[in-house]
Amino acid sequence: MSISRRDFARRTVIASAAASLVPANIFITADAAPLFQAQQPPDLAKLSPTSQAELESRMQTILGQYGGRLSEEQKADLRRLCLAAESSLGRLRAYAVENADGISLYFKPVIDREKKLSIVPDLSPHSPNNP
Amino acid sequence: MPSEDLVYLPLSELAKRIESKKLSPVELTRRFLDRSEKLGPRFNAYARLTPDLALQQAEVAEKEIQHGHYRGPLHGIPYAAKDLLSVKGLPTTWGAKPYANQVFDYDATVISHLNRVGAVLIGKAAMIELAGGMGYRFASASLQGPTRNPWNTDRWTCGSSSGSAAIVAAGLAAFAIGTETWGSIICPSAYCGVSGLRPTYGRVSRFGTMALAPSMDKIGPLARSAEDCARVFAAIAGHDPKDRSTLPIDKAAFTYSPSTELKSRALNVGWLTNAWTSMEPGVAKAVHTSENVIRKYSPHMKEATLPVGPWEDAANIIVAVECAASFRPLLRSGRVSELTDPLGRIAGYLNEQFSAADYLQALKVREILQKKIDNLFDSFDVLIAAAQPIAATRLELNLETDAVFPDPLGAIGNLCGLPAVAVPCGFTESNLPVGLQFLARAGGDLAVIQGARTYQQHTEWHRKHPKVA
Repeated sequence: MSISRRDFARRTVIASAAASLVPANIFITADAAPLFQAQQPPDLAKLSPTSQAELESRMQTILGQYGGRLSEEQKADLRRLCLAAESSLGRLRAYAVENADGISLYFKPVIDREKKLSIVPDLSPHSPNNP
Repeated sequence: MPSEDLVYLPLSELAKRIESKKLSPVELTRRFLDRSEKLGPRFNAYARLTPDLALQQAEVAEKEIQHGHYRGPLHGIPYAAKDLLSVKGLPTTWGAKPYANQVFDYDATVISHLNRVGAVLIGKAAMIELAGGMGYRFASASLQGPTRNPWNTDRWTCGSSSGSAAIVAAGLAAFAIGTETWGSIICPSAYCGVSGLRPTYGRVSRFGTMALAPSMDKIGPLARSAEDCARVFAAIAGHDPKDRSTLPIDKAAFTYSPSTELKSRALNVGWLTNAWTSMEPGVAKAVHTSENVIRKYSPHMKEATLPVGPWEDAANIIVAVECAASFRPLLRSGRVSELTDPLGRIAGYLNEQFSAADYLQALKVREILQKKIDNLFDSFDVLIAAAQPIAATRLELNLETDAVFPDPLGAIGNLCGLPAVAVPCGFTESNLPVGLQFLARAGGDLAVIQGARTYQQHTEWHRKHPKVA
């Protein structure tokens, strides 16, 4: 598994996970750029039919919502990003998790209810709020 | 003392001189401001300087100290803050054109903390637009243009705390505040040869700070040494009712003095053997030399390995989804097209499409990883590896296609909210800095500081600085 790296930022584009096929020995010693070989684009043919269908669906959703804003070059770029995303999602989904496995989604209840209570209408016998 | 020497003094030395009234906060601030005005543009280091505010704060500090009211080691010390921390009444651009005129009427909690201890804000540091949240291909992805590395201006600083690292490396301020969601403190520290601390998630309040991926965003200092980072961290850490993700009071607060370390037992140190698949030869050489140095003072150091799994994929989707939510108005309005970087203009449209089921799968994987990592730290207090497998890249490099390598260490550290310190550990043949990273379990901020500080007591790399004047 390998991803594009410079800062997490490019990784926020899940497509950057496309670099997963880059071999480990790509480092070169010369001081001239690039330090690494250009990455190979992910191979559509390696995706399962389900993943290919999902890719197409995702692409169509994007185009349906935002297609009018995008140039042909940007659309092609997005298709490439969608393809890379499928590879990354495939690895993530293949990781075995159990139904009972915990989830790192923490809901923190508001514990300072006392403050909230102060804005509850006063329903004491002498209160004008008390009908 | 020559100007260059003064601006590279560690915080402890500056503080000692200020407390003893041998150094005037106003004079020190003027010196850093002059230097920043002269050299800042050379590196695109600042989003803006704040000379009026800085001199006002410095004058107040000076008067307080003259009257015997010394607030502590940051009193009268000039610093810069990444331009995603709001400062009341000043533009906070998030490094991005759509927010170029954004002004908040309150201070970020970190800024308030630094005000309280008497630090002097001399400017807002340049940064990658939206801290890279929408993705980017080029170092130029910033409202200020590419930040240039003070060691070699044809090279990049890394991002997204690009200006913060350049400012510290070039001696334009005594320290700077940066943020990290995935790599944005550690990588710039390594590229620029400075020390940087990524605290445990939840120890520093993000109130008043741009949200990118709220379950992963962290704020930390970049400075001249691990000890300097510890002193800044002590000032900014703490529970904040305004940021409910902060840890409880007893877990969030941090106090530091070197004597705290002396009371600690010797650290169990592990050397990570699988953090990087490969390293650039010049980096590998410096890191190997460092390993030998550490083995001399830590003879029981053992090899350690990171667990293998789809950690980067999980981190990717968490950041992508949370970022899409954070910037949904920017995406929906179409103003995302105003971003500088071609990737940043489109990637958010994809990130918006990921399913909740995939996001929750990533969170399950994250929970499993947390347990694995916690078990690993039952055997080690600190794990060490190269901070980055390469040195600073050329400014024009396409980062998406031409700088590709696995980063399980960054993914694990940030998914699990682990503290890390990056410190300089040598140079490549091209005189570019190389960094070493110390990692500990969540809450082990003192351990990474102690590990890095011990290394710096045995080496001099953190005292090197570029000749920029």
